[in-house]
Parts: sequence; C-alpha cells; structure tokens
Amino acid sequence: MSAPILEIKQVYKLFGGLAANSDVSFQMEEGMILGLIGPNGAGKTTLFNCITGYYPPTRGEVLFQGKRLNGLEPDQVCKLGMARTWQKVRPLAKMTVLDNVMVGALCRTGSLKVARDIALEQLHVVKLEHKNGFLAGGLPIGERKKLEVARVLATKPTLLLLDEVMGGLNPAESDEIIQLILDLKKRGLTQMVIEHDMKAIMRISDRIVVLNSGAKLAEGLPQEIVSNKDVITAYLGDALE
Amino acid sequence: MIVFLQSLLSGVLVGGVYALIGIGLTIIFGVMRIINFAHGDLLMVGMYLTFFIFTLLGIDPFLSILVSIPLMFLLGAFLQKVFINRVLNALPQNQILLTIGLGLVMSNTAMLLFTSDYRILTTSYSSGSVSLGGLSISTPLLLSFLITAAITAFLYWFLLKTDIGQAIRATAQDRDAAQLMGINVKRMSVLATGLGAALAGTAGALISPTYYIYPQVGSAFTLKAFVIVVLGGMGSIIGATMGGIIIGVTESLAAVTPFIGSGLKEAVVFLLFLLVLLFRPAGLLGKSRM
Amino acid sequence: MLRARKPARGLAALPLVLAVVATILLCLFPAVVSSPYTLHVMILIFLSVVQGESWNVLGGYTGQYSVGHAAYFGMGAYVTIMLLQFKGIAPWYGMWAAVAAAIVLGLVIGSITFRLRGPYFVLASIAVAEIIRLVTLNWKEVTNGAEGILLSGVPPLKIGETVITDWSSKVPFYYAGLALAVLTILVNYAVQHSKLGYYFQAIREDQDAAHSLGIPLARYKNIALAISAFFTAWSGAFYGLYVGFVDPSTVQTVEVSVSIVLICIIGGIGTILGPVVGSLVLVPLAEALRSNLIADGLFALGLDPTSRTGLFLKENLAHAHVLIYGILVVVVILFMPDGVLGYVKAVTRKRATRTEAA
Repeated sequence: MSAPILEIKQVYKLFGGLAANSDVSFQMEEGMILGLIGPNGAGKTTLFNCITGYYPPTRGEVLFQGKRLNGLEPDQVCKLGMARTWQKVRPLAKMTVLDNVMVGALCRTGSLKVARDIALEQLHVVKLEHKNGFLAGGLPIGERKKLEVARVLATKPTLLLLDEVMGGLNPAESDEIIQLILDLKKRGLTQMVIEHDMKAIMRISDRIVVLNSGAKLAEGLPQEIVSNKDVITAYLGDALE
Repeated sequence: MIVFLQSLLSGVLVGGVYALIGIGLTIIFGVMRIINFAHGDLLMVGMYLTFFIFTLLGIDPFLSILVSIPLMFLLGAFLQKVFINRVLNALPQNQILLTIGLGLVMSNTAMLLFTSDYRILTTSYSSGSVSLGGLSISTPLLLSFLITAAITAFLYWFLLKTDIGQAIRATAQDRDAAQLMGINVKRMSVLATGLGAALAGTAGALISPTYYIYPQVGSAFTLKAFVIVVLGGMGSIIGATMGGIIIGVTESLAAVTPFIGSGLKEAVVFLLFLLVLLFRPAGLLGKSRM
Repeated sequence: MLRARKPARGLAALPLVLAVVATILLCLFPAVVSSPYTLHVMILIFLSVVQGESWNVLGGYTGQYSVGHAAYFGMGAYVTIMLLQFKGIAPWYGMWAAVAAAIVLGLVIGSITFRLRGPYFVLASIAVAEIIRLVTLNWKEVTNGAEGILLSGVPPLKIGETVITDWSSKVPFYYAGLALAVLTILVNYAVQHSKLGYYFQAIREDQDAAHSLGIPLARYKNIALAISAFFTAWSGAFYGLYVGFVDPSTVQTVEVSVSIVLICIIGGIGTILGPVVGSLVLVPLAEALRSNLIADGLFALGLDPTSRTGLFLKENLAHAHVLIYGILVVVVILFMPDGVLGYVKAVTRKRATRTEAA
C-alpha cells in the first residue's frame, strides 16, 4: 500500500463558539475515490474550505503528499496540485468557455498557446468543446458544472475535490458526470467527492466518510456504510424527513 | 489643559451632528446595501433649504427643520423610487457610480441656480456663547447638539419600538428573510432612503449657522460620513452614533495639535479610517448590525 | 444565448489595419490643420485617452474600481513640475521620479486596501487621494500649497546638440500626447493578450474562483495597480507640462478621480476601445459647453438669445459641463451599463438577429 496522498489529522473549525468541524481525521491513498457524505450542515463544504486554504483549521493539520498545508493560501494549494470545484458554480461569466478553462491552464504555464492546447484538451474530456466561444455566464447549469470540472482539470491536479458536481442535474447529465469521474480515476487521478445522490456515491466511491454535525460519524466501504446503523439514523433519517 | 477640554467639548458637540449624517448613511446602506455617495449633497440641499427659508421667510434655522425634514424625506423617497431602485441588483460599482452621478447633478444644479458664491447664514445668536465651568460653548453648536440628541433619541425609539422601525431593522439584517416574513421590502427601501435624506438634510440645517454654504460643500461630508459608518461598522446605528462622536473629537483635537493644525485635521480623520480598514475592517464594534 | 464570436483569421487583421491607418492620419493631422484650438482639443482627447486606458487596466480588466486616481495623476504632475521648477531637472528625467513615486504610493495603498473587497476598496482609494491632496495643500514649503506652481518654461528637448523641439507651439505637445495615447492603447492590448489579462479578468469576474485556480490575488491586483499608476502618473506629468501650472484643485480633487472613471464608464469598461470612445464623447462635449457652442447652436436653431431662457443658457451652459457629466453617468448606468460601445454592440446584435429571423 502506497503512502497517503492526503492526511487529515484532528481538524477542528470553529466559527465563534460553533464547531463546523470537530476532530475530523481520515486519509486518502493515491488513485482512490473517497466519497464524503452527510446531512445538510454536516460540515462537508467547510472541510473542503479548510483543506484548500480558504480558511485555516482552528486546530489540527492537513498534510498533502506529506507537506503541511496549514496557513497556505488557496492559490498555493492549487499550485501544489490540489484543486477543487464549487458547490455553487462560479463561472467567470463575461469570459468565454475556452477562456475560463485557459485561466485554469495558466496555473502551469505562461504561454497562452500552451494554455489554449491544455484547455481544448480538457474541454474535449468533458465534452464541451462545441461551446468554446460562448460566454460562460450564458450556459445552462449542466454545462456550467462540466465547465467547472474542465477548468480545475486544466490546473493539472493530482488530487481533485469535487463539491456536488451532480447537484441540480438531470439523470442523463448525472450519468455523464459519473462516467467522467470513473474515467478520470482510470487515468490515475485521486478524487474526493461530496455528493447527495446516494446511488451515485455508492457506485463511484472506493471508501466513504460520513460527517454529521461537524464530526466524523463513520468511515468504510460503501457496503459497510449502507448497513451502518448510526449512518442510517443520522443520514437517511434526515433524508427521509 | 483648558484648550484640551475646550476642544474635547466642541468635538463632542460637532460629533453629534456628524452622528446624524452617519446614521442616515448607515440606514440606507443597511436596508439596500448601497453606499450613497450623494449623501453630502443631500446635506448641501438641506443647507440651502434652511438658508432660503431663513432669508426669504425669516424662519429660524433650528425651527425650519420642521419644514425641511418632510421635504428632504420626499426628495430621498423620490431618488429611491426613480433612480436607486433600478440598480438594487446591479454591480456594486454601478450603484456607487449612480449615486456619484446623482450627487454631481445636485451640486452642479445648485451651482447653476445659486452660483458658487459662499453664503453665510447669520442669526442673532450666531456668534454667541455660553460659559460652562470656565469653558465657553458656542450657542448655535450647543443648540444643534441638543436638537441632534433629541432626534437621535427619537430615532432609536422609532427603530426599536415601532412596527415600521422594526421592519426596517429586519430588512437591514436579512432582506430575503424579511421578504419571506411578509415585510414590504420595497416600501422599506423607500422609507430608509427618505429617512436617510431627511437626516442628512437636518444635519445640513443644524450646521448652516456655523458653516459656509456653497454647492460643493457636500463632498467633504460624504467622505466623513463614510469614515463614520465604517468606523462604527457598516449598517450599525449605535456604531454610527459613536463613530460620529469619535470623528468629531479626533478632528477637534487634531486641529489644536502642533504640526497638524486645522488644515490637516481631515487628513488625520482619513488616516484613522485607513487604520480601521487595516486592523478592524468590520468596524470598531465588530459585526455589522443595526 | 450570448455567443462571443471570434472573427475569422482574415478578419482579425481588419481592426489592426484600421488602427494603423488611424494612427498615420493622426500623425499627418497637424500638417493639415494648424488651428491652435483644434490642436488643443486633440491634445485634451489624447490626455483623456491616456487617463482612461490607464484606469482601465485596474478598473476595467481587474474590476478594482479606484475612485482615487487623482492621487497618481497629481503625483505625476506635481513631482515632475516641482523637480523642473525648483531643481531644474528636465521633465524627461523628472517624469521617471514621478512615476516611481506613484508606483510606490500605489503599492502602499494596494497592500492596505486589496485585502478589502467591494465598497471598502472604493472608499479607501478616495480616502488616500484626499490625504495626498490635504498634505499637498498644507505642506506649503515644498508644494506651494493652494497657490500651486507656475512653470516658467519647459527646456528644449535635445538629442546631442540637435534641438528636437523647444515646445513653443502646440505641435510638439500634440505628438507627445499622441505617442502616449498610442502607447497606453498598446499596453492595454498587450495586457489583454497575455496571461496578465486572463488573470486580471478572472479576478474581476470572481475572486474566490480565481484564487482556487492558482491566482495569487494580492500579487496580480498590485501588478494591475502598478501599471495603472505608472501611466496615470505619466498623464499627470504630461498635463502639468502642457498647462504649465499645477494646483491641488485642478489635479488632486475627487472630481478629477471621478472624471477619469467616467471616461471608461461612458465608453465601455474593460475594452480597449472604451476609453477612446469615452474621450471622443466627453472632451468635445465639455469643450462645446465651455466655448458656448451649444448655446450658439440653439440660437442658430431659432432660440431668441435675448429671451430669459436664452440669456440663462448663454450665461450658464459654460459652467454646466460637470452637471452634464452627472446626467450622463446616471443615464449610462441606468440605460447602458456596458457603456456606449456595449450599447452599440447590443443594438447591432439585436438588429442582426432580427434580420436573420426575417
């Protein structure tokens, strides 16, 4: 078994007195897909923000390829090879689809020509190249999600954090994204995926971490998680409400 | 020592009027998240209004606020309905530019109508003073402070105790939630702008016996109002009240400090502003809240 | 759906050809037109283009709305003029000191204000410009205070022993202004077609997204500010030398800052041509008002010059250009938030779709 690519050690994030994350620990190995699930407000996005430098964890540490990330800015984290998407997509609205992806690609190169080639390649990967010249702000939600993925892929990450990339998509579009995630895995990309769609997460994840009220409730293989009593009461109970 | 106390006192008195300007700006910001760059120009309109009510009708400036408050309220409500309302969802920079444009229109219309001459409103008590424990206080300054205090007290009562006041505060805290709870947010915006304009106009009326009146007088007050509001935390009325006093005292003390003097007292205020932005961007009181 | 069309390769050359032709025509202009007033208006247009294009780098591309550019403009004018008048340092050297001072000032401001977003940045930029103005006003021993500094002359520009120009007419200023305008337009072009331009625009569109894509926000905002301050200071130096006089009320007030922003707003923000269009609207308009051309025009159309309205207009329109600016801003923001250029584009696009549909 290889060394962990990401280690999260006893991470706490407090807002005022409120703990959005408390004592969260887990690790990821290279090439795997880790599913991160939990009811609304469980602290999944907060954890993403702590990992990617949007705010420093109040306590605990995050190690990426053995390097401590605490205190690094999001752009530095991105340069190290960890990229994330946003739950609420953030297209650069007044720039074209191609330009959006080029911005990501410019993380690794100073040349517009090289960046354009990288961008075209990634747009091909997500099957969006026919929209190259369109303004990003005008895309329908499904294509915005794809654009978001193409854009982070262009930063050439070794670890990709996907925050609900299937939210708001119809089943056909979701299937496309699932296929894309699995394809990326085949190419060796490590991924952490936040998702609400349980079927999807069961299908793609190698391992699942469940958060509840900011703390880790369970961790295990998909089939272990579905039969875990705590998870069923906390998560599914909430989902059935 | 006497100089210090004297400056401190007049700083507090001037600060009261500043607080009024700041409260107006902060209410508008709170309810609509728009920074009104025409705020000082509204104050200028209030000054001219007071000047003409005094010279043409012979009504005392401190009495004339009974007339100018409703008039300024209408002006504010008009500006909101016709102009500001259309940019509520626009980019913040466009909102700012719109109010800058409105300010330019107001100040330059005033220049066309009244020329850029400095005018002085002289009342029988303009140069009078009251002596208090060895300190002398200018009569108009004292009167304006007392009126300010009364208005501020009334405002607090209005915002805290009346239904409309609470609706305004609710809108300021969370516009969407307020709307969901059945508050007519559009009406609150009109009310807030009217209220803000009325407060700026009142401040203009109150300082008219002690300041020169000219079309460009507003811009300095607009800037000062920002400083006051940022100092107290954007959207906080208590913050704006305290911010006003702090700025009044800072200016007043800076004016008598060697090497600074009255010419640079405003620079000190802006410097203070930058320091607050640098170290406490949420304002001295912390969270922005009404 | 909005589609930004990329012109075909052959067509891409067209704007370039037009730009070159326009530049050549402008170079020949003084040979044909000798009226000093016309040249004066052209120089003012160049100055306005330089100011607008400089602001555009920071405000237009990067989305950082500075309403304090009078600080850099004033710094450029004051340092150049003070060095020339008090120390006898030729302006083509003094200008570099001015530019350096403006950039240092900009970086200090940037380090304070770029951590702030939205309205705070606007407010801070105004506050800094006001501090600079108040210090200039009160530091009389150095700056001459409110009286300003009157320049006793610009030394002749020599290369070796050959005198290039002694600045005795408007023509040398015309060419200097034209050169600066072309330069700043080229700078905008270079920015737009480089990594910088992509990063600046990404920051404008969404700071958090930009940050997550590996863009160090503070560094790139400061680069934009430095470029912007550099050329704004140059325009200030040019203005000071051309007018031969600086004082706080003409180069350092909030009105100066606002008018710089206006050039871009009216033309169209974040485009290379926007500031040019803005200048072509604003400068002639201001001049027409100042020289009473508009009142004369109304009289020619049949308005009685001796009527009350006629007298009022004649008396006041000359002072009304700021009022007109204000009305323009309000109208532009409400009805054409993308400026004249954006408005024209939208209208032609609409017309094109209508013809296609027909």
